[in-house]
Amino acid sequence: MSDSTIQHHEDSRDVTFRVHRFNPQVDSKPYFDDYTIRLEKGITVLRALNYIKEHVDASLTFRAFCQAGICGSCAMRINNMSKLACTTQVWDELEKSREPDIIKVEPLRNLPLIKDLVVEMDPLVDKMKSYSNWVDSKMSEENWGKKEFLVSEAEFLKYDKATDCILCASCVSECTILRANREYVSPAVLLKSYRMNVDSRDSIHEQRLAGLVKDHGVWDCTHCYRCQESCVKHIPIMDAIHGIREDAIAERGTKDTSGARHAEAFMEDIEKKGKLVEATLPIRTNGVVWTMKNLLPMAFKMVLKRRTPPPPPLVKSTKDIEKFRAEFKEMTGHVAKDHAKKPGE
Amino acid sequence: MKPFDIVIVGGGGAGLYAAMEAMKTNPGLNIAVLSKIYPNRSHTSAAQGGANASLANKAKDDTVEMHIFDTIKGSDYLADQDAVEVLCSEAPKIIRELENMGTPWSRMEDNTIAQRPFGGAGRPRCCYCADKTGHTILQTLYEQCLRKGVIFFNEYFALDLSVDGSRSRGLIAMNIKTGRIEAFPAKTVIFATGGYAKMYWNRSSNAAGNTGDGQAIAYRAGIPLKDMEFVQFHPTGLRKSGLLVTEGARGEGGYLVNALGERFMSRYAPEKMELGPRDLVSRSLETEILEGRGFDSPAGKYLHLDLRHLGADLIKSRLPQIREMCMYFEGVDPIDEPIPVRPTAHYSMGGIDTDNFGRTVMEGVYAAGECGCVSVHGANRLGGNSLLDILVFGRIAGRAAAEEAGKFNPAPISESEVLEKEQELRSFMQPSGHYERYGSLREELGQTLGLNVGIYREASKIRKGIEDLVALKERFSHVRVFDSSDVYNTNLLQVLELRNMLDLAETVAAGALVREESRGSHTRTDFPTRDDANWHKHTTYTLEEGRPKLGYKPVVMGRYELQERTY
Ligand SMILES: Cc1cc2nc3c(=O)[nH]c(=O)nc-3n(C[C@H](O)[C@H](O)[C@H](O)COP(=O)(O)OP(=O)(O)OC[C@H]3O[C@@H](n4cnc5c(N)ncnc54)[C@H](O)[C@@H]3O)c2cc1C
Ligand code: SF4
Ligand code: SF4
Ligand code: FES
Repeated sequence: MSDSTIQHHEDSRDVTFRVHRFNPQVDSKPYFDDYTIRLEKGITVLRALNYIKEHVDASLTFRAFCQAGICGSCAMRINNMSKLACTTQVWDELEKSREPDIIKVEPLRNLPLIKDLVVEMDPLVDKMKSYSNWVDSKMSEENWGKKEFLVSEAEFLKYDKATDCILCASCVSECTILRANREYVSPAVLLKSYRMNVDSRDSIHEQRLAGLVKDHGVWDCTHCYRCQESCVKHIPIMDAIHGIREDAIAERGTKDTSGARHAEAFMEDIEKKGKLVEATLPIRTNGVVWTMKNLLPMAFKMVLKRRTPPPPPLVKSTKDIEKFRAEFKEMTGHVAKDHAKKPGE
Repeated sequence: MKPFDIVIVGGGGAGLYAAMEAMKTNPGLNIAVLSKIYPNRSHTSAAQGGANASLANKAKDDTVEMHIFDTIKGSDYLADQDAVEVLCSEAPKIIRELENMGTPWSRMEDNTIAQRPFGGAGRPRCCYCADKTGHTILQTLYEQCLRKGVIFFNEYFALDLSVDGSRSRGLIAMNIKTGRIEAFPAKTVIFATGGYAKMYWNRSSNAAGNTGDGQAIAYRAGIPLKDMEFVQFHPTGLRKSGLLVTEGARGEGGYLVNALGERFMSRYAPEKMELGPRDLVSRSLETEILEGRGFDSPAGKYLHLDLRHLGADLIKSRLPQIREMCMYFEGVDPIDEPIPVRPTAHYSMGGIDTDNFGRTVMEGVYAAGECGCVSVHGANRLGGNSLLDILVFGRIAGRAAAEEAGKFNPAPISESEVLEKEQELRSFMQPSGHYERYGSLREELGQTLGLNVGIYREASKIRKGIEDLVALKERFSHVRVFDSSDVYNTNLLQVLELRNMLDLAETVAAGALVREESRGSHTRTDFPTRDDANWHKHTTYTLEEGRPKLGYKPVVMGRYELQERTY
């Protein structure tokens, strides 16, 4: 058999990577460098970046480790979407490029920039700590190792998907609320919190929940679904967020948290007007003074970043609203139950 | 600066368990974990299969004894039997302990931890969490360390030990985010830096950073390494990246096919065909390639793993992960095209020579996990025993170090030593006329190892490999770091990792040459059988005048006599 028949046929073409550069020691602000290289089909973005680093520009800086989509190191924004460079095929990306043959590569957002494509991960770790993202076992440490907790497969399935999270921070980078408020708990941390809360071996469920309903917590989420759409492990993050909210209302009632009042106001809007009046919502749940102090600055920021339409903020009944409706119908159940429990209040 | 009681280098399964156990042993201790990547990114996360323990949840008649025997037999009788006894008898306890702290194990119908069969094990004793066992164990340990307030120095790169005669004063490391060289004076140091199989580069299933840093640091400090010639190969790595296509693909009925269109396993294992034991299948693929029946491509020669006849439905329902991997990393959909594969370096049995408590010959220095060699895997590790190893011996080392830490007060690390290190690193950045590029040196290192010290070994080829390594080391002295910035200089890190791999590669080759027999993963075509009379012993390597000096250690025997290893 001749060599030419054995040879695997490969497509190849020139591709330009437009890469975000920033070296804090010399640059006052970030800029972009274009690298054009010839690539064969079947190459991932990470392999292309490795090639550039080795053959074109050794100073190009990014994180990568497993190269197999499991360690979470190589998350970056590729053509305006946060994803793993090591699991992204260049050829697929070329189809999405706005300019032909150019792939834009940027660092994750919502985390402090260190250099080129590398961002600081400590803020995420700090949030994992402040929201107790661990199982605090019902069994005291001295007794560990002696016998198993019995856990049903049904319970395992409740947190199975959530434990797929590799803390890559793609969802963090895409989160709408984090764009305006970096103190917001973060989708990945909500996911992890949920995973711990539904684990029957854990003993600090209430304490964790109490933290989650505070400011910058679970009630700040806008239900934009952006995190779930960007999750590199296809985890239904919104299920976790709903889970925590339902839990909060079921366990903490509707009157004692601003979040739950927020939910009630939402329901009223949707029910009575079929519309969501975002601007009046915070006022009704928190009162005028609180809203002026806490939310207006953020709202301005969001308007600046074109995250919310400028006033009058009457949101049209869109698909998203349909989603809200469905969700809040579910919640209505809980709230109603809650009211039934406490008739005197 | 007050010395740390314990500095743990490495935040994989071994390092994190050591940290937890040390804090449990003595909560008052001042413990630091250093890791060149965020701990949750460590390579432990890549382990899919599971961890062995004779819980007897699945096979009610499973016992610790059976686990011990399987492990010793699997090691081709090179494992130390007392160490294996520790490993297997601690196994049920450690798996339950992980369960008690929150690891999400898959479950059996009676709600106990699920177990499944694994290669080389007489009973189904591999505990798992779906196909993400290592990942969930690592997450759990990281979470628990956060809970206990372990102090992490994330993205710190360990450079060298500071040595004071027969003792260590602590560690010198670089803060990757600032480029600063910092001293970590420490009463005890535990190395838990993982394996060295990445030296085979794109013929390796390992993460880019599995470069044997801890082993190289120990070796440079005069601590002996052990059994370095034993590197396990997995039959089906993807052609371009070396990433693993798990055995599941063959288990479901995939064919291995050469460029002549033959199902070549009929030549080597006519009955079992594609489902023969791992080392045999690896050798078969290698033979096909060497004898010219492979496909050719710029990324090297390869064979086909063909799943097409299984049909789209089965591939989608039973092998979704494998399909995804092939599409992500090779751009090939196994429904339409065969998968290009070749054997890939997977696991390093050798490592820092330790006793059953993780102690090395240097006072105050410990090693655990894949970077240590106790030895429990001997010439060949069984699937599922490595996660177990890192947990059991990580914990033992953590406890031992915690107990020892009170006893010493190390001399301080001098500022001049730190400055010296700084200058050494700077020198990589200074242009000096002729220079070498890191990328090509590393590529050639992987190539010569794969070719000459790979699956099949013979004296003349290994000698060629050693010559190449000497030449590569010479060229390395001219290597240049082009990125001159302090902040997050990955170019510099790559060069430092390459240096470590070069140092260790010499020991792998030296051991491969001297061991004139075939045992476990080490196959000499010129010495095709096991030679117990001459070679039933461990090899050790100590750095002397820049080269590895060989020594030997007896294998600790016990209840099990030497037998031929047949399956
Ligand atoms: C694809 C694959 C699948 C596997 N599947 C299984 C399986 O199913 N079952 C099984 O039992 N085993 C399996 N293994 C083997 C097992 O995963 C490893 O042996 C084990 O996880 C190693 O753990 P460790 O803690 O020793 O090291 P690692 O998890 O590799 O951690 C090493 C740590 O050291 C740090 N480090 C390294 N160098 C430095 C430095 N210079 N400075 C600072 N820090 C440093 C790293 O940052 C990292 O935190 C598999 C291996 C691979 C590659
Ligand atoms: S749904 Fe909530 S958490 Fe997710 S991106 Fe939108 S605001 Fe962030
Ligand atoms: S939830 Fe998904 S996107 Fe977010 S960190 Fe985890 S794996 Fe990444
Ligand atoms: S390098 Fe590990 S996920 Fe991409």
